[in-house]
Amino acid sequence: MAIAKAERLMNLALCLMNTRRPLSKKELRESVEAYREAWQQGSEDAFNRMFERDKDDLRELGLVIDVDENALDGEVGYLARRDRNRLPEIVLDAEEAAALTLVARVWQQAKMSGAASGALQKLRAAGVPFAEDAEHTALQPRIPAREAAFEPLLVAARDRRPVTFDYRKAGASAAEQRSVEPWALECWRGHWYLAGYDRDRQSARVFRLSRITGKVRSRAGGFTGDVPEHVDVRAHVARFAGEGAVTEGATATVRLRRGAAFPLRGRALATTRVDEHWDELEIPYGYGLGADLAEFGPDVVVLGPDDLRADVIDRLRAVAGVGE
Amino acid sequence: MSNAIDQTRRMLSLVTYLRERPGAEVAEVARAFGITERELIGDLNVLPMCGTSFRGGDLLDIDTDGDRIWWHNVDDVAQPLRLAADEATALLVAARAVAGLPGLRRRDREALTRAVTKIEDAAGDSAESSARVGVTFEAEGQVFADIDRALTEGRRLWLRYWSHGRGGMTEREVDPIRLVTEGHTYLEAWCRTSEDRRIFRLDRVAEIKVLDEPADPPRIEPRDLSAGLVNPAADDPEVIVEVGPGGRWVAEYYTHDKAEELPDGGLRITLRSADPSGLRPLALRLGRDGRIVSPPALAEQAREAALAALAGYPEGQA
Repeated sequence: MAIAKAERLMNLALCLMNTRRPLSKKELRESVEAYREAWQQGSEDAFNRMFERDKDDLRELGLVIDVDENALDGEVGYLARRDRNRLPEIVLDAEEAAALTLVARVWQQAKMSGAASGALQKLRAAGVPFAEDAEHTALQPRIPAREAAFEPLLVAARDRRPVTFDYRKAGASAAEQRSVEPWALECWRGHWYLAGYDRDRQSARVFRLSRITGKVRSRAGGFTGDVPEHVDVRAHVARFAGEGAVTEGATATVRLRRGAAFPLRGRALATTRVDEHWDELEIPYGYGLGADLAEFGPDVVVLGPDDLRADVIDRLRAVAGVGE
Repeated sequence: MSNAIDQTRRMLSLVTYLRERPGAEVAEVARAFGITERELIGDLNVLPMCGTSFRGGDLLDIDTDGDRIWWHNVDDVAQPLRLAADEATALLVAARAVAGLPGLRRRDREALTRAVTKIEDAAGDSAESSARVGVTFEAEGQVFADIDRALTEGRRLWLRYWSHGRGGMTEREVDPIRLVTEGHTYLEAWCRTSEDRRIFRLDRVAEIKVLDEPADPPRIEPRDLSAGLVNPAADDPEVIVEVGPGGRWVAEYYTHDKAEELPDGGLRITLRSADPSGLRPLALRLGRDGRIVSPPALAEQAREAALAALAGYPEGQA
């Protein structure tokens, strides 16, 4: 039976951490049983591929593996120096530790939730006093990431690797290939967005991950454009979600039936009572306001501006099936 | 069964942990690592096969009688390991997001903020890429704080709540169960008015009071939220919506059973809803971008509402 991967990785890690001098591939092949098997039963190539993959996996787990010229047999060697791999001293009080225990359960995505518990395990092994029975709390923040593009983009943004993917813009009937240098990922209202430099359009763009169709592919080479110091994905997304006005100061005036359309009231800049049935509200005229207003049907009447009024009438006529 | 990466990560921490605790109890270690005893025994079966040389016999001499764990040739291989970039990111991004949750108690916020600084220091370079991921949690701070207090003190709540589906205000008494944040914040509670479990979105709470009466929610299994907060029942009525390219967002916002591509770039979306008439706002919002195919009663309700609304516009009538 083939030796399990976890056992192989563990052996490689122990070899690299326990040596004071770089170990050549040949030495490692002699020390790790699984490599010897792969080499004897497979080929030099099979062993090499396995070794390269394992090295990458250990690096993903945080191990710093140095490559050095000075292996005994004059070949390239590898070692994980103790001083470069040690967790610096960290002291957390009980409150801080409890707060982190709650936080480590927040991720609902496999890779990130594995990383979060891995971090707690390392801290615990280093002596941080986490309570053993994490209390059940009535406060449950959750970060989902059901979009398939999340994981590859997370890694690409981390490693500053350009990517390509097919993207279907809002309202577009077909997807188009985009070539992007991914800067940052942001989750807002439960949806993930990517901000980055669009190579074809030669400017910054924001993408919604749920509109990425097909695979995210990593491209060779690095970034060509500068990465801005601060990327405000949220402000950009909020604007297109209709938060705030399209242009500075643009407002709309609407009549609302009293007691109705509660969500619109929170947006009001000013509310005045018209009579016992109606209030008049002034609200920022942002993207998608027409759709937001149509939703409330006969509880809302748009007074102006004219283009908004026409938009809402058009929507209502479509639903009513009149004037086609 | 955990994957090889997570298992390796865990075993590396496990040896450090065991080094300081000769004769550690299996049950206690499993709890500490957040795994089952079976998983831990699995790890303990692998560790004796690991070491610096399988031929030199230089292997970890770790064994267990199923109750306690012994390591007979403890050496100093087991030092606490630095955090990987993903590990630092996972902790820091979540901690920053929770610390920014409006309504969180000050003590908790301060503890989180201190923890973030310490983790950043300990992680060093590994913390760098955590700035490339951000999560915003939203909540209405005062409503959140009132619910949090009711939960802690075990008290009932009175709500004036905007029912989106019905398009009106409702008043009810509820026994809070938990606060769930996923983008927005939601209260899961036992509604005393409908004698059923209900989810309330905090930004739709118009008014809230913590009552003197103790909360007494029935002992029920917490709902499984892995598929999302809105989880229609298998026997809920089916709703079919056909949308054009401009209405594809419906599939992103509504939990659905299927979304079939249409030749014009649109979608035919099949979903279920306990109360289809609650989808009237969606039908009105869609305008030319889509229509309700079924049930016909919902399409008719939307049509009537649109006609009634048009009465408010002299120029808009047929």
